[in-house]
Amino acid sequence: MRLGMVIDLRRCIGCYGCQLSCKAEHGTPPGVFFARVLKSEEGRYPTVRHLFLPVLCNHCDDAPCVEVCPTEASHYAEHGIVDIDQDKCVGCRACMMACPYGNRYFNGERRDYYPGAGPTVYETARTLRHPEGVVMKCNFCRDRLAEGKLPACVANCASTARYFGDLDDPNSQVSTLIKERGGFTLHPEAGTGPNVYYLPP
Amino acid sequence: MSGQRYQQLLADLRADYRPQREWGEGRGVLLVVGHFLVGIAGGTWLLSWWFGITAGLMTAVLLGGLGGLGHLAFLGRPERAFKMVRHWRTSWISRGFVGLTLFLAGGCLHLAFELAAPGGLAALIAGLAALAGTLTIIGYMGFTYTASKGVPFWNSPLHPVLYIAYAVRGGVAMLLVLAAFGHASGAALMPLWLVVTGLVALLFALELQGAAAGSDVAARRSVHDILAGRLAAIFYGGTLAIGLGVPLALGAAGGNYPVIMALVGLTSAAGDFFMKLSTVRAGVYRPLIVPRQRHRG
Repeated sequence: MRLGMVIDLRRCIGCYGCQLSCKAEHGTPPGVFFARVLKSEEGRYPTVRHLFLPVLCNHCDDAPCVEVCPTEASHYAEHGIVDIDQDKCVGCRACMMACPYGNRYFNGERRDYYPGAGPTVYETARTLRHPEGVVMKCNFCRDRLAEGKLPACVANCASTARYFGDLDDPNSQVSTLIKERGGFTLHPEAGTGPNVYYLPP
Repeated sequence: MSGQRYQQLLADLRADYRPQREWGEGRGVLLVVGHFLVGIAGGTWLLSWWFGITAGLMTAVLLGGLGGLGHLAFLGRPERAFKMVRHWRTSWISRGFVGLTLFLAGGCLHLAFELAAPGGLAALIAGLAALAGTLTIIGYMGFTYTASKGVPFWNSPLHPVLYIAYAVRGGVAMLLVLAAFGHASGAALMPLWLVVTGLVALLFALELQGAAAGSDVAARRSVHDILAGRLAAIFYGGTLAIGLGVPLALGAAGGNYPVIMALVGLTSAAGDFFMKLSTVRAGVYRPLIVPRQRHRG
């Protein structure tokens, strides 16, 4: 089984629901976005359209971040998920330089969401559990998957633009969508074998 | 994370070309310092071994130790540094850690054996271990950058060769400083410095030209940042003026005077530091959306 995600750019409305639900699920510190939405404009006035590109870790088959990690902190977990063992990470940030998708973050030092007011109850419960001095990234919500749930960004997508499933199964919804709608990956020239696909707008 | 850095991060995430700031800014400068010192250490050991200069070998070990401390101070979790031996099969950082350890241990033992019983087999074995470590440390830095697929400017195959050339130039610079104190012969060093400097300049020019003429927009942006953007002051002032213009002028004025030799060595080394700093800071992440052309009118 090789888990992967398909994002339908025609359905995405740029609501940031994925970004917010990811923040809520993982309690990531300020400045850390496992899932985020890039926006750009295309065309010239008056024929202009807004494009939204939701991005996250691509959980590559041949992940350069795993290759360059000196401590094996970045590793392949079950079903092709690329994850970080935060007890092994030394914070060298080589993986951040190796990732062609820029979806890794260094949690350098503690910063509260309300500077000067101390951590909120939520932050104490969620954000403060993330160790400092290490790199963080999306792990396809492994904890949720273990409970039989979908990743938070998929479950909370208001326009159901995200699909999640087994890319090795030719009959799965994700494989069918990629085949029928011409799914593509970001930066295929990097040769990393991403497992996040996009359907054209 | 200070408020200013947080705002900077958010602005970077919104930018067309997102600069990497982890290596080369804030505490990241320590990594550049570490690479700079370790490079000089490797070059100094290599040349001192060749010319038989004991003071050079001692200086190399000292610089290597300081460079290692720079690396450690940069890490988010330096107390776990020993874990970096694990992944030497694919990670150049891991290989660099092993190489530096070998260099420092072998170098210290070689010097201790040489002082106790010169010319012994133990000293030779330790010296060869240090030599193996030297070859690793002068190579690993360039390969580390080349393996960084997220930053196209560093992906050049010339990068490792350039870093090896930097190391040799740094070694010559350090020997020039030592020559000023009578620990080495300066007569052969100035021509050698000129040759190695010419090689470094040629490699750097080729790397810039390759990136500027290539199809990768992020690499082209990096070249622009160095030559005409946010890093131009460091490049023109530090690398070209201090690191090239001043030593050339001093050498032409009187390269055989001890003070001049020392100044040539120090300014040359300073220029190498600025060149490494500008190259590292010029790193721009591969954009996920290629920025559109700005239309006029």
